[in-house]
Amino acid sequence: MASRKKVLLKVIILGDSGVGKTSLMNQFVNKKFSNQYKATIGADFLTKEVIVDDRIVTMQIWDTAGQERFQSLGMAFFRGADCCVLVFDVTAPNTFKSLESWRDEFLIQASPRDPDNFPFVILGNKVDLENRGVSAKRAQQWCQSKNDLPYFETSAKEAVNVELAFQTIARNALAQETEAELYNEFPDQIKLNANDNARNRDGDNCAC
Amino acid sequence: MSSSSAEDIPEQCKDLFTQDGVLLKSCIGRSINELNSIGMLCIVQNADSTKCVEWRPNDLITIDSDTQDQEWAVVNTIGRRQRTLSGNMTSDYATLRARIIKIPLSELKTFRVSRNNQQMQFSTKPGVWQMSFYFQHGNAEIFVAYLKNHVKTAKARNDKNTYIVVEPNRETQVLNKSFAELDIFTENPTDVVWSLVSNLRQRPYETTMEAFSKLTDIVYYGNEAMNGKRDVSEEVADLLTKSMSAMEDSTAVTRSDEYEVISVKPTLPPRPCIPRYALYYGNEAMNGKRDVSEEVADLLTKSMSAMEDSTAVTRSDEYEVISVKPTLPPRPCIPRGTPLSTEKWDGLQDTDGRVTEVEGVKQLIFRGGVAHSIRPSVWKYLLDYYPWTMTHSEIKNLQRRKTEEYFSMKLQWRSMTEGQESRFSEYRERKSLVEKDVNRTDRTHPFYAGENNPNLIVLQDILMTYVMYNFDLGYVQGMSDILAPLLLLLGNEVDSFWCFAGFMEKIAPNFDMDQAGMKQQLLHLQQLLTFASPELAQHLAQKDSGNMYFCFRWLLVWFKREFSHRDIMRLWEVLWTGLPCANFHLFICVAILDTEKDILIGKDYGFTEVLKHVNDLSMRLDVDKILSTAEGIYHQIVSAPHLTDQIRVILGLPTIGRSHTEDSHSDTEDKEASPKAECSRTNEASRSNATTNGNGTNQRVLFAPEADEYDRFIWPGEHNSNYIKTAKTLYIRIFVRWRHRLVSSPTEASTAKTLTYICPVATPTSFEPNGGFNIGSGTVLVYFGATGSVTLEYNGIQISVVTKTVWALLA
Repeated sequence: MASRKKVLLKVIILGDSGVGKTSLMNQFVNKKFSNQYKATIGADFLTKEVIVDDRIVTMQIWDTAGQERFQSLGMAFFRGADCCVLVFDVTAPNTFKSLESWRDEFLIQASPRDPDNFPFVILGNKVDLENRGVSAKRAQQWCQSKNDLPYFETSAKEAVNVELAFQTIARNALAQETEAELYNEFPDQIKLNANDNARNRDGDNCAC
Repeated sequence: MSSSSAEDIPEQCKDLFTQDGVLLKSCIGRSINELNSIGMLCIVQNADSTKCVEWRPNDLITIDSDTQDQEWAVVNTIGRRQRTLSGNMTSDYATLRARIIKIPLSELKTFRVSRNNQQMQFSTKPGVWQMSFYFQHGNAEIFVAYLKNHVKTAKARNDKNTYIVVEPNRETQVLNKSFAELDIFTENPTDVVWSLVSNLRQRPYETTMEAFSKLTDIVYYGNEAMNGKRDVSEEVADLLTKSMSAMEDSTAVTRSDEYEVISVKPTLPPRPCIPRYALYYGNEAMNGKRDVSEEVADLLTKSMSAMEDSTAVTRSDEYEVISVKPTLPPRPCIPRGTPLSTEKWDGLQDTDGRVTEVEGVKQLIFRGGVAHSIRPSVWKYLLDYYPWTMTHSEIKNLQRRKTEEYFSMKLQWRSMTEGQESRFSEYRERKSLVEKDVNRTDRTHPFYAGENNPNLIVLQDILMTYVMYNFDLGYVQGMSDILAPLLLLLGNEVDSFWCFAGFMEKIAPNFDMDQAGMKQQLLHLQQLLTFASPELAQHLAQKDSGNMYFCFRWLLVWFKREFSHRDIMRLWEVLWTGLPCANFHLFICVAILDTEKDILIGKDYGFTEVLKHVNDLSMRLDVDKILSTAEGIYHQIVSAPHLTDQIRVILGLPTIGRSHTEDSHSDTEDKEASPKAECSRTNEASRSNATTNGNGTNQRVLFAPEADEYDRFIWPGEHNSNYIKTAKTLYIRIFVRWRHRLVSSPTEASTAKTLTYICPVATPTSFEPNGGFNIGSGTVLVYFGATGSVTLEYNGIQISVVTKTVWALLA
């Protein structure tokens, strides 16, 4: 392990204003929750080291403002992303409906090499609240229809599924990162059909 | 080529050269699972002294090093080492060993370097590339240089990147060559120096190690080569110099994000290089006459000056001569004044309550702010709620009117029924946004803290009423931050609303739907910083931060997130005076950045580190010190003899016809990430457009002066006024007048101006509905800004002007 280059995974969290992007990030990184996070202005990021398949990787998690008009400035921050996390509020159907446009916007702005296979992870946040407006089934159906995107129901407040979700985010980002490394300069390379061969070279314990 | 298995591992083999970060991309006869793994490419001398190129996967190296001396556990980028394989092999190890790829040099026929030194292919049979490797660090040329020490090659006639092996074994010849002839660098020495310097900047660690390993090679393996030639010592000194300075860089900077933290020790050769070198050249020194380090230092000095000489000559052809930049006058230290006191304030009003000396009041406030006790009164004037010239009784009337107006607007949304609301999605969205943000605005301040705090309801009511007051703008994130200190100070809902509306009037462009106002300010900030602190501006540009996005939060809410309530009140009241120039808030940014300059440059912060550092400055800034520094910088700039029109425009000063391009700071402006660069790119596009639709001449779009009474503009990024002289002139004169202040909707804007043109050569083909006109294949669009500025846009390129007359010149 010691000889390996350190891996930095860049993760972008997107979603409507107030769905809990900052809270999720802070719950994951600092294991803290506060009702009083200010609305994010501009952009900020936190980093955390995690172990994925026995590999130590650093996650750099980017949090940006949720209001639509600020997204034109997002481009500078989206560049080089390894995974994109789309968050909605399970009590607010509008925030669920926005997922599609957040996804499109990200793909346009970040223009990843292989948009069809770029890893997205969907989080339905605030499951601790009672007034649900989006059923788990509806969310899952949507995720399935989008090339089977991983979906988690989370509560940043009560730390439900946050760790698990970010583990998946890290793993999928790592796969992306490795692929980018491999294929970036080799567009004419034969595509490996075996799912992410490179990712699994340290073991076969990845089942996602 | 052959693959080895656990059985045929030679008992002893020697790595002559290793390079890591090499991925196996393809290899005939290997399973697909083995591809794309990372490893190192080596030149290995076998026990029988035959040699081969060997690739081994990293997993193997890890195991290897675990079983061996810990000193070798860390594998550096490029190094040379000797290593004995120990026994004690597990079956895993055997499997991994089987993945090693060997190409005996005696069988190697051709090799090829491509993709910017990122790819290397090998062949042992003509016509087939049996394997290819991908060099993560893009440094395949180094491997080639070393390989060429062991095989004699010739370049293929039809492809300069392909090498044909002529003689597989020619090591002795190589060793007899002088250092300079060793082909370590394939380019000429000057190029090497320049590429080294640029590499150092980009990846100091590896570059240093490259230099070191090259040096080591000579010392360690090149003994015979060094037959006491003087030029060799110079070469060595050269490399040492580079390595030394690079070492300093790489140790000072924490590269932990990108690289493993590797101590320097394991990367050094087994025997320290300087004593070895001294053995050959420093006999006298070793005998106690002089210290080795002195000897080396001596050589360093000589070689450095020699290097400078040689580069100076070649540079004149290849590089632009960089003129000496005019320096700014020294920065005056201007102490802050005392806050405007109650007595002074009272004394500045006449018996009826009119404020008589408005400019004087503003000056006082600019110097020292306002005493807290009279802030509620003074702020209403500063925020254009109360006109300075009104008497007490007039103000009473005004208050009554404004109170009525406020409550009638409030009633509009308060009386909305649920049914109405359910059919009014735009309203609903705004309301929901306001609710969300109110609940997370300054909740740690006692005034807004706690559940069911009534002040939150007032905050929400004011913001909702503002939505009705300016529905087009609505609610934008950041507004609650702007309002919170106002309500905190004034306490009164109506007063807070009108002061908020007045503040919003000053910063409305911050909240444009298309963010044009923010982009413009970021650009102006970059220009200002380039003028005030070119070194920092250049650093930021190099680090993809020339767009200044890391200042976004500062600008959007006027530093609200960076200071405590007490301090932000001081800063805001100073900025509201509009003194000493337009856009003084940008000087606040420059002052903060200037204060942090040593850290930002010294620690070589990149895009993410700059952003983090700037974000982390929040609540750690001294408002009085920053105001003082900002004013100092203002005086420096405004008294600079080379003050350009570009800066004058930002400061709201009349322009004098001096373009910003006469000094050489365009290098920072042309960086990719800067907002300006986007213009430049489009500019290129429009040039080619113009070329295709013109009459065959090479056309460039410029804004140029005509006569002194007109303001002069040269297209941003253009740095040669010769174009004007040589232009095949195509004039467009646009007279732009405006009757009132900006209006955000285009229809209103078009009623607010008249537009004529004179066009001696070409005639605009048609006018656009929004006030632009067509010429050639492009459209010149005219936009009206809030402060009376006019923006012209041609084929997507924008130029902002504060003038009544503009010349557009197509050259």
